[in-house]
Amino acid sequence: MHIIVCMKQVPDPEGPRDAFEVNQASGLVEPRGIPPVLSLFDENALEMALRIKDVHPAGAAVSVISLGKRISSAVMLKALAAGADEIVKIEDETLDAGRLDSFATAHLLAAAIRKIPYDLIITGRQAADFNDGQVGIGLAHILDLPVVTLARAVTVQGSELRAERVLAHGYEVMCAPLPAVIMASNEVGELRYPSMIQRREAKQKPVRTWGLADIGLAAPPATRLTRKRLYAPELRERQCRMFSAGSPADAVRNLAMQLKEDRVI
Amino acid sequence: MHTEKQVLVFLEIERGALHPMAAEALTAGKQVAQNLRAELAAVIMGSGIADTAQNVRRYGADRVYVVEHASLETYHGEYFCLALSELCRTAPPAVILMINTLIGLDLAPRLAWNLDAGLVTDCVAIDAFDGEITFTKPIYSGNIMAVYTPVTTPTLVTVRPRSFTALSFLDTPLGEIVPVSVALDQASAKTTLVERTLEQGDGIRLETAERIVAGGRGIGKAEGFTLLKTMAETLGAAIGASRPPCDLGWVSSKAQVGQTGEIVAPGLYIAVGISGSTQHLAGMAGSKTIVAINKDPQANIFKIADYGVVGNYEDIIPVLNETLQEILA
Repeated sequence: MHIIVCMKQVPDPEGPRDAFEVNQASGLVEPRGIPPVLSLFDENALEMALRIKDVHPAGAAVSVISLGKRISSAVMLKALAAGADEIVKIEDETLDAGRLDSFATAHLLAAAIRKIPYDLIITGRQAADFNDGQVGIGLAHILDLPVVTLARAVTVQGSELRAERVLAHGYEVMCAPLPAVIMASNEVGELRYPSMIQRREAKQKPVRTWGLADIGLAAPPATRLTRKRLYAPELRERQCRMFSAGSPADAVRNLAMQLKEDRVI
Repeated sequence: MHTEKQVLVFLEIERGALHPMAAEALTAGKQVAQNLRAELAAVIMGSGIADTAQNVRRYGADRVYVVEHASLETYHGEYFCLALSELCRTAPPAVILMINTLIGLDLAPRLAWNLDAGLVTDCVAIDAFDGEITFTKPIYSGNIMAVYTPVTTPTLVTVRPRSFTALSFLDTPLGEIVPVSVALDQASAKTTLVERTLEQGDGIRLETAERIVAGGRGIGKAEGFTLLKTMAETLGAAIGASRPPCDLGWVSSKAQVGQTGEIVAPGLYIAVGISGSTQHLAGMAGSKTIVAINKDPQANIFKIADYGVVGNYEDIIPVLNETLQEILA
């Protein structure tokens, strides 16, 4: 069984607000002083792949594909340490995440995926930078595969998968033949923590680097949207009124009375 | 074939009734239609939905497409995408709009790929810029806004819940009902629905709640949420949570507020034991009033709160609940 997990490197979403600066000349956001990390949602996707690998009778090989201008080996090492078997990097100066849309990204990934054997492709529900949430469905469309979105759990039996798909008021079980695409829901939970030995061994695992020519493309595909501009939104000023006078009980009662007075309740 | 330029708003039907955010969706759709000088059309899909269609007429759409088919009785991404694609071929819209719900998350990309169209997800504002319509969405955890213009016809957009103030009802229903019949090839479906388990939601729905009481890692244990639930009942509030309590199983993952999970904007948000990660703030910073209760006076949450109390929530919440009960009695 061969599983491909698509993982994106993004600027740490928990970085401070002033770390995200708009360069109006380039029309890109230039993160300052914050490290790149794996998109959290893609970590959910990798965790889902590793759970399948844990229990599949014949085992499973997990390849992680990442696409970008420059992909940090240190960031990708985390995926290998957690249990991925190899990394395939698709790197090119033109592959700036800020210039690609989901349409272009899915076509680029699909071109790479066609070069790798697979039974299952897993993506996150969206990327933690642009939050578009379209690439998984795009891959399925381009590769003519079944797709289940918002999956919180997947089991594979023979040549069929069963996925639990999250609903607003519960969940449903969907069946699909392999090969297929799964978009993992955040409800899969956090990526497992690697041991020291796993971290050491990760450095020996294979990392392939491909350029555009290696996936048979001369340039990234055209986008389906035009981005006119980027700007930092004005923060709504909030003055936090602290309630600390008197005993703790007094403070709380004062808070409640103030909420009443300000017609919040 | 319909020749007027039109904006098509997809409305969800949930348990036989129109989705609570339908009015919001049509409000956003109306903005798009006015910008493009286009007509506003709504579409509902399902089985036995004639009564609901009458209800939609009161929301000010010029036209209500009603797509009835046995295979559309409950949501299946492939059938819904096929049916909607067929409607778009007979009555091509300039823009297709839906709400960024769990169904919207699945349906909008399916339709965009099927129609070879651009899609802006999670849009929070619709404006005009240089004579063009623009769709604005938050990126990079809400630290930056990106403004898009359409390239393709149609262009799709999903709007973030609570971003558009819903229009009020009309007294007299308007809009013509247009029944649409579609041929859905069941053999074409690549995925099969095996079973569906609906959970009895306990309490008020997060996404439409006017008040939310939310707990974070500082709650420390599943039992801690019992205190919050008691206060939520007093306030008529929904229960929310940051990511850790959901991952740790103290509370249902459906309660998660944040970039992952529900994005909310209630009148009152009470954050208890929530430190205020960017991920969480991205999901609730739009709340009208924010009350923060945390034992750490340096917690980030106080920076975006309107009212704050520093202390142990196990001491604070029972007193607060008691006082609220007296006030609201």
